[in-house]
Amino acid sequence: MVESKQQSKPMTALLHGDTELATFDTSSIPKKLLSVLDVDKSEPLRLVKVDPLAILKIVKHARENFPSLVNGQLLGMEIDGVLEVTNAFAVPTSLSSEEDMTDYQVEMMHCLREVNVDSSSVGWYQSTRLGDFMQRPLLEVQASYQAASPSSNSSVMLIHDTTKSEQSGNLSLRAFRLSQAYLDLAKDGKFTTKDLADKGLTYGNVLEELPVHVEVSSLARVLLSELQWPAGAEQELLESLQRPSSFNAKQRAKRLVDRSAVSDDVDAGADSLDSGLSSLLPTRPAAYLSRPMCTGALSLGQGQTEPALLSRQLETINDLIDKQIQQAHQWVYWKRGEGKEKHRRQQFVQRAAQTNAARVARGEAAEPEPAEAELDRMFKVLPEPSRLDTLLNTANLDLLTKGITQSRGPALTKMFMTQSLHDSSSRPQ
Amino acid sequence: MSMLNLNLPAVASAPAKAGASSAAASAAQSTALTTTQQCYIHPVVLFSILDHFLRRNESQERVIGTLLGVRSDDGRVVEIRSSFAVPHFETDEEIQVDMEHHGAMFALHKRANAREQIVGWYATGASLSKYAALIQDFYSREAAPFSAVHLVMNTELTDGQLGIQCLQGASIGVGAHPENCLFLPLPYELQYPDAELSALQAAADSAEAPEGAAALISDMEQLERTIDELRAMLGRVATYVDSVCSGKAKANSIIGKYLMDLLAVVPKIDAKQFSTLFQTHLQDILMVAYLTNLARAQLNIADRLQRIV
Repeated sequence: MVESKQQSKPMTALLHGDTELATFDTSSIPKKLLSVLDVDKSEPLRLVKVDPLAILKIVKHARENFPSLVNGQLLGMEIDGVLEVTNAFAVPTSLSSEEDMTDYQVEMMHCLREVNVDSSSVGWYQSTRLGDFMQRPLLEVQASYQAASPSSNSSVMLIHDTTKSEQSGNLSLRAFRLSQAYLDLAKDGKFTTKDLADKGLTYGNVLEELPVHVEVSSLARVLLSELQWPAGAEQELLESLQRPSSFNAKQRAKRLVDRSAVSDDVDAGADSLDSGLSSLLPTRPAAYLSRPMCTGALSLGQGQTEPALLSRQLETINDLIDKQIQQAHQWVYWKRGEGKEKHRRQQFVQRAAQTNAARVARGEAAEPEPAEAELDRMFKVLPEPSRLDTLLNTANLDLLTKGITQSRGPALTKMFMTQSLHDSSSRPQ
Repeated sequence: MSMLNLNLPAVASAPAKAGASSAAASAAQSTALTTTQQCYIHPVVLFSILDHFLRRNESQERVIGTLLGVRSDDGRVVEIRSSFAVPHFETDEEIQVDMEHHGAMFALHKRANAREQIVGWYATGASLSKYAALIQDFYSREAAPFSAVHLVMNTELTDGQLGIQCLQGASIGVGAHPENCLFLPLPYELQYPDAELSALQAAADSAEAPEGAAALISDMEQLERTIDELRAMLGRVATYVDSVCSGKAKANSIIGKYLMDLLAVVPKIDAKQFSTLFQTHLQDILMVAYLTNLARAQLNIADRLQRIV
């Protein structure tokens, strides 16, 4: 509690300018925060810690705007290579111009600073549907973020996959940064085969993934435990079970039973519940479903959504492969053109050399050899098409296929579970 | 800076009285408002209130802020979807609420999410602030034509829990004064959309982790945990059923009904049909897996070739 209050202090001090910073008493800052004041020092980012508040805000924003994709700003701070994301806010999709966007962000951050929220931007978030988020504009935005703060490497993009979070019952949140190799190449805007090979940039290392941890404050922990087993819920359950005809009670009872599942002391149902249950509860909270929150992981997905999702994914993969082939053709075409031109140039040089040799044999003065620049002018070699699109395409394919490969395990597990359930239920008793 | 100065009537000065009379007029109007009957709260609201409380100024005891959300057409059902903090200064005599900040933040929120309106306000603390009635009066004007909802969270943890409460103001007494306000409890429910559940789940996992922060887990691990829990639950039910069958425990008809429902959910599929379904599905999965692996292998080869060239 005290800690987080102090966390916001040095940042605001930094932002208020030098005069205040000079008078700022560094001795009052805890040791582990001292590194924040050291602006010049840079340490590679190794971990992203996200507060549940930020996650919930991202999830809510993405869900409410589904299926259109949204983005927003992340707030927090970086300490010793650990980036703490403590808050986030949505950026309206309606904003058209770049200036509007910046204005909005500046205004929002100004307002949030007044209530002591960490006011430094540490990156942005983007929602995605199928996982093929590697698009040019996205990389460009991230490149601009990383270019804006090269010394303090505090800018990361969080990718949240709404569909996956909902259907697999497992939060899909990944943190990425652009690799140095990509940034170097993007600076010159040159993505030729040679450059790629020189820098060692392949589809796998355009982005660097950082591990994401969820950090919960003590008060939030209290809240979470209350959400998992709300106080007085058993009382509520009892009452609603006793008057099942009352308005809304049935549904509520069902919900409570869903949440609490069947406990060890199931017999503490309707009539006997009031006697023993309440005294049992606080001492044995583990008797209840320890994680009543998510059952989505068990969804068999034989309904409408999941096969549709899979087929959509496959369609996207198909499209990407088509595009890939097209680009490969383009490249081969260019290569052939380049080869032809080179061949003609070589022939020309050879012919020139031959005539020269003949002239020398006849005792005449040799003609000067054609200069390189002249040759270049005569035989124009088209520049190699940028390999960036191909690279991103490949990266997307890689992401998608990896996702599908990873979903195979759970899918097979669920299938065999269903089989054994079916076997046991159809077996004659 | 525009500040809303709210004074208690006992110490009210002359200009404040003028303000109070205009407030009284609106309070009279507010009696005609549709009363809210049910509240739904989105978990993000609770987390942002806690965050705001953690980041309060040093001398401050409570924090307040604005609740945003949507209402049903008749205004009886409120869904609180988000919130933002509003700075305020409280002394023994008066309370100042930073109206400029409130207005600016609402305008910013409005641009990002046009549907959400002001539905009320929140405060932390073990008990209601003595200025609660005055603030409530202000927010009911903001939330007009509907009544404002007041959410209280006991961050002092005096009785060992956060004690989330939803309240609505009702004016009492003969003359309609804003300070004559009775707070009535309002039933509320928390809402958990699927995507949020997975986020809360991840947060709960880290809360249980010894160092207070845990990495996100993969789908497979998540499935494994869920299956383990399912098995444990089935085990508990089986124990209960056994004990009832052997006469050790008293049978409970309600639980019996739930068990019946549960069994009825298992679809009855012909064994032959099931095996065909199973086989085709299995083949589909294996095929897709094979193809994706093939594609991956191709990508890898292409990548290696590129380096040779």
